[in-house]
Amino acid sequence: MILVNYLAAVALLCIGLYAVLTRRNMIKMVMGLSLMEASTYLFMISLAYRAGSTAPVLLNPPPGKSTQSLVHGNVADPVLQNFCLTAVVIGVAVTAVFLSVVVRIVQHYRTLDSDRVRDLRG
Amino acid sequence: MAGLAVALGIAMAGIPREHAALPAVARYAMEVALPRWGLTEPVNEIVYGTRGFDTFGETFLLLAAVVSVVVITRSREARRGYFGESQAGQREQQEGDPAKPADAGEQEARAAERREQDDPAYGDPRPLETPDDEPLGTPAPEMAEAMTVVTRTAIRMALPILAVAGLYLVAWGYSPGGGFPGGAVLAGVLLFIYAAYGRRRIAGVVRPGLLEGIEMAGASAIILTELLGLLLRGSFSANWLPLAPPQTILSGGIAQLFSASELIEVGTGLAIAIFALIGMGHDWTPDETNSTGESNSTTSQGGGES
Repeated sequence: MILVNYLAAVALLCIGLYAVLTRRNMIKMVMGLSLMEASTYLFMISLAYRAGSTAPVLLNPPPGKSTQSLVHGNVADPVLQNFCLTAVVIGVAVTAVFLSVVVRIVQHYRTLDSDRVRDLRG
Repeated sequence: MAGLAVALGIAMAGIPREHAALPAVARYAMEVALPRWGLTEPVNEIVYGTRGFDTFGETFLLLAAVVSVVVITRSREARRGYFGESQAGQREQQEGDPAKPADAGEQEARAAERREQDDPAYGDPRPLETPDDEPLGTPAPEMAEAMTVVTRTAIRMALPILAVAGLYLVAWGYSPGGGFPGGAVLAGVLLFIYAAYGRRRIAGVVRPGLLEGIEMAGASAIILTELLGLLLRGSFSANWLPLAPPQTILSGGIAQLFSASELIEVGTGLAIAIFALIGMGHDWTPDETNSTGESNSTTSQGGGES
């Protein structure tokens, strides 16, 4: 029933996108973007899951299994776990960029309301 | 929105589920992890070995993000530390219209700001080091630098464990861990010290000159590690170190070197980004009382300065 996880990731992505599109508070927009990021983590980790699999670690194999049987056996997908591992750290740094931009905008316009930040309006 | 949700939901029904076979790239990584890299941890082997080029790119994406934060948060005043906004506060004080009297809220905020800058005219010139000596019933907010003895003791207990855990994640590279989580843990250690003891305690270590230097050293170590593979073995990010026996600290060849450099890069990078964000502020543009047309010109002016 990993499909439930996939659908939860879709729901998270849509909630995040909804927040970005409808909120005027820029902090909430950044929170929406973070939520969209988090949905991709959930999606990739769910995509890595295999029914009845073990972790892709060859150290101390579970009882009754050898390292070689693990190599060719039923394990979770390590490539997607790798993506998730790096994406989390990048996500933190990118959120820091968003937040610093928001702080600068607030200092300039003295408002968090994106609707009142209109100087770029042609 | 609803359409997007439905479309994505339908798409989800078509992608591989838990009974699908492992993709070839994952199976390949499982197979080469032990013989070619001597690593019993395929995820680490993928991060720093077979997909090393990908990680290389991610590292410099992280670096680009950190550099953007540093550039965006750079203040208008010349300053060497993350904390030292006295000049900006003074300038703001002067830039405000002297004819217009400040309202009560603004006065309160300015008094607090001056107090923060150790101005004796606005209250206790030297705030208490810790809130422990404050008499009971003192109105909040506490002005002390550090937190209470309870928090400090708890953090003092947790810190060595956290710091060792962060280093362990990297050093024992043949078990789950690696430079990315290790670096995040070490950045958390710095934040804990800041939260518990205040900025004075970490001011010696957490300053841009030092952190940025270490960060660049980590980045150059990564570039060097990967380039030496190209020079010595003929392919970028190839392993050029002798393989140590599996399940030792050195097993994995350049994967461990890459991982340790990544620890430095991620740890200092996150610390720089976070402290740059904490340290920014007091850089408000002066209040606008003019029409919108005027504020356009000041905006471009301010953008050029900051």
